[in-house]
Amino acid sequence: MLFRAPGHSWSRLTRWLPGVALLCALPLGQLAAQSVAPGGCALLLSGRVQDHESRGALAGATVVVLETQQATQTEPDGHYHLDLCPGTYHVQVSFVGFTSETVEVRLAGAVLRDFQLHPDAIALKGALVEGQHVNAPTPQATASLSGQALRQTRGQALGEALQKISGVTAIQTGPSIFKPMIHGLHSNRVTILNNGVRQEGQQWGQEHGPEIDPFIASELTVVKGAASVRYGSDAIGGVVLVQPKALHDSAGTGAELNLVGMSNNGLGAASGTVEGNLRRLPALSWRVQGTAKRAGTMRAPGYYLRNSGFEEADFSAAVGWRKPGYGLEVFYSQFNTKLGILPAAHAESPTDLYAAIARRRPLETSGFSYAINRAYQHISHDLLKATGFVRTGTAGKLTATLGQQTDYRDEYDLYSARNADRAARNRPALSYSNRTTTGELLWEHRPLGGFTGSIGVAGTYQFNRYADGTRGFIPFYNNTIAGAFAIERWTRNRWQLEAGLRADYRILETRRGTRDTLGVYYVERREFTYVTPAASLGAIFDATPHLSLSLTTSLTQRAPAANERFSDGVHNAQYELGYDLVPGNGALGPETAYHTGLTASWHDNPRLNGELTLYQTTIDGYIYQRPILPPVINIRGTLVSWQYLRTNAVLRGLDLAATYRLASQWEVGGKASVVRGRDTQEDEWLFFMPADRAELSVRYAVPEQPTTRLTSRYVQLGSYAVARQTRVPADYAAKDYALPPAGYVLLGLEAGATVHWGRLPLNVSLAGSNLLNQRYRDYLNRYRYFADEMGRNVTLRVQVPFELSPRR
Amino acid sequence: MNKSVFRPFLLALLASTTLLSACKDDNEDPTPDEDNEQITTVTYTLTPTGGGTPVLVQYRDLDGDGGTAPTIGTLTLAANTTYTGTLALQDETKTPAENTTAEIQEKADEHLFFFETSGTNLTITPTDKDKNNLAVGLTTQAVTGAANATGTTGTLKITLRHQPGSKNGTFAPGSTDVEVNFPTVVR
Repeated sequence: MLFRAPGHSWSRLTRWLPGVALLCALPLGQLAAQSVAPGGCALLLSGRVQDHESRGALAGATVVVLETQQATQTEPDGHYHLDLCPGTYHVQVSFVGFTSETVEVRLAGAVLRDFQLHPDAIALKGALVEGQHVNAPTPQATASLSGQALRQTRGQALGEALQKISGVTAIQTGPSIFKPMIHGLHSNRVTILNNGVRQEGQQWGQEHGPEIDPFIASELTVVKGAASVRYGSDAIGGVVLVQPKALHDSAGTGAELNLVGMSNNGLGAASGTVEGNLRRLPALSWRVQGTAKRAGTMRAPGYYLRNSGFEEADFSAAVGWRKPGYGLEVFYSQFNTKLGILPAAHAESPTDLYAAIARRRPLETSGFSYAINRAYQHISHDLLKATGFVRTGTAGKLTATLGQQTDYRDEYDLYSARNADRAARNRPALSYSNRTTTGELLWEHRPLGGFTGSIGVAGTYQFNRYADGTRGFIPFYNNTIAGAFAIERWTRNRWQLEAGLRADYRILETRRGTRDTLGVYYVERREFTYVTPAASLGAIFDATPHLSLSLTTSLTQRAPAANERFSDGVHNAQYELGYDLVPGNGALGPETAYHTGLTASWHDNPRLNGELTLYQTTIDGYIYQRPILPPVINIRGTLVSWQYLRTNAVLRGLDLAATYRLASQWEVGGKASVVRGRDTQEDEWLFFMPADRAELSVRYAVPEQPTTRLTSRYVQLGSYAVARQTRVPADYAAKDYALPPAGYVLLGLEAGATVHWGRLPLNVSLAGSNLLNQRYRDYLNRYRYFADEMGRNVTLRVQVPFELSPRR
Repeated sequence: MNKSVFRPFLLALLASTTLLSACKDDNEDPTPDEDNEQITTVTYTLTPTGGGTPVLVQYRDLDGDGGTAPTIGTLTLAANTTYTGTLALQDETKTPAENTTAEIQEKADEHLFFFETSGTNLTITPTDKDKNNLAVGLTTQAVTGAANATGTTGTLKITLRHQPGSKNGTFAPGSTDVEVNFPTVVR
């Protein structure tokens, strides 16, 4: 049974921990070279080899499959063909006067793979900037983290890792909670897809991070700006895609182990994956993965942040059955975490809150400890996904995805109950659960002329509740959504045009427990329906082989969420009230966003590569929170009252990421992002917009020496600068507890190498952050009122890929 | 291959996901927050030591946080009089109303009341002690001085500090469970 009453015990986390230990203790003795099935298969790998500069065909180029040593030469028109078995291969293409290129090719069916070789003069290396240009043919600005860039974030929370991408920031709560923010928009406006399924949790809290283990992913992709046609009408701000590797499709068993240790808070993380494909049943692939993470008290310069430790234990398993004509995959993942909350940040009375803010450092500091005391959050998330596809012959491909997920969130107050019976029951103060079923049917038609595209239908059913007897803050609600969409793309020469349309029908039913003036409890039931459209139009123009321009425009309507309408209660010494509950307001309607983005990307250049995105999002009926007078008086004093309001807003900004190769081993990288958010109705700045920021780094790659056991050695020096946010509403001191903190510059140094230990290539890196141990605070960290950010931290990361012997 | 074995297995898996969505508790209504400890009512009763009618002042918020604002009484005391004060705290959202005073008494070593007055001649001193001989404040002595100037009103602020494991007689440790302000006048 997947849906349990909330308020469950923590024990299920510890129950499977021995499993992780086993996973980590895989005997090295099993290591053996992977054997590849002999030839005789007939999957066609074909394509064309061209000169990247002139786009002319290269005749007589050599194409070698490294694993099988099969080789061929290209024909006069540049074409090549090879017959291979299903599997993953490294294909090397070489031609005199050009730089050889080796790529990984995964064959499950026939694969068309073109190569464009660069003239030999200057070797091109991968860009240093982590948010690399992604060749995904989408007009939206898109950036992703994978490979080494992703490895450099291992051990961090999902929202923390995403900050490597320019234009992405996070609303932070101490060292453990990072809620991603894209171009100044967050929460309900950012959609996260966890392995293809929309993540549904408790989006209403600023201190509620995404319930996802980033170790699941081999790639994290961010679509910046509205992507509502494909991903649903909530995605006004953007989309985060957490993508695991495709399942192992060549016979054999592989494994990967990641280990992370941090000096500042004693964080230790271990994550392991074992995956394989049965030799006797090549259609069947499987994977199991698990992560355990534990961190102790975080250290700010000069003191420890009491109760800032956290722990996490996650696992996932996938099994897939894949044939050329159809495939099926079932995936299950579970995420569990327990997060300590700084006592000062858990003030329930305004007096305590103001006293905590007035202190230069928290009243209660502590020594180092891994213990997590009250107040804490305990969150778990289950996801079961089944997806299948059928190739509909000449017509295209039909894919169905079903997801079932349940999110549990328990928040425990600083002190246990005064009443002895209640204290003995030890129930959380807030205990929410959210169960969501999602389904999607997608049909991709086969290319017709220059057209490719897909149509799809999607449905969601969601039930959100809190445990009996606990405090209600968000009402019970049932959300039913049905949507249909179509996206069509036309490609010709250097042009790509894309247009999409979507409509969503949504029924929101709420049941809110409340009391009348005499204190008599009753339940208020409401029902709302919305039809929200979305449309997009985009173009990509490859101006030269080294410069692509893309333009995207879209319209999205987003229906308000239950929290925006019906929040009611006190959370962190602030009284929050939904729009509909403000006397005289009436019902809250949808907001309408108009987004325009222009991206210029210069790529595959010998020296300077980069990407610049300019965007503007205008939101009519922008739903936001702000403090409203008069304050609310409750038993603990006079509380600031935050209410949901609507206005018109415009957000503009730019993201820049570029690298410049100074010399063969030296590269300079830079990133910058700027967001300007205006309330156009009140003619003032918006609350809580990210401050301007920039990053600069220099990287030295040590020349490879064939005799050494160390390869891919690098050293990288970086600095990260964030300005003070000065663009805040007028009379800000009366609207926030503290003015935005001063800007800061941090210094970081990282070195890494691949250590060849026997046959094992160990990727090892050592990274120091905030090297000067500076005190600083960040405007978007909710702990900024009480404490400084993390001091100096050194992180050791080890990644070991294993090839285990194939099953016989 | 063993296709026949795998097909039913996979079909069953697929079918199970669709069945999971149908749960019977989806139409349940929320129930009152019985486990949510709150204080809706604070009553301060002052009895003149020399005899006479007790004076009573009350803070009461029956619908909890937000909604209708609490009703807050005004405390009117006689000049140059000594009173015996008792505090009573209740949670009236529960049926029957919960007696929070008794729970505070039981854990007196975790609780401390503060009485601050301004703009009026009133001094309040706790008269009860916990097991560590630290003041509590459920019972008090209140002494008034000269009457307020005509047309002026002062305030009495009563604060309950909840200090499990950290009570030392001072205000700072722990957190505030009650902070109510009564308009107060001495006539």
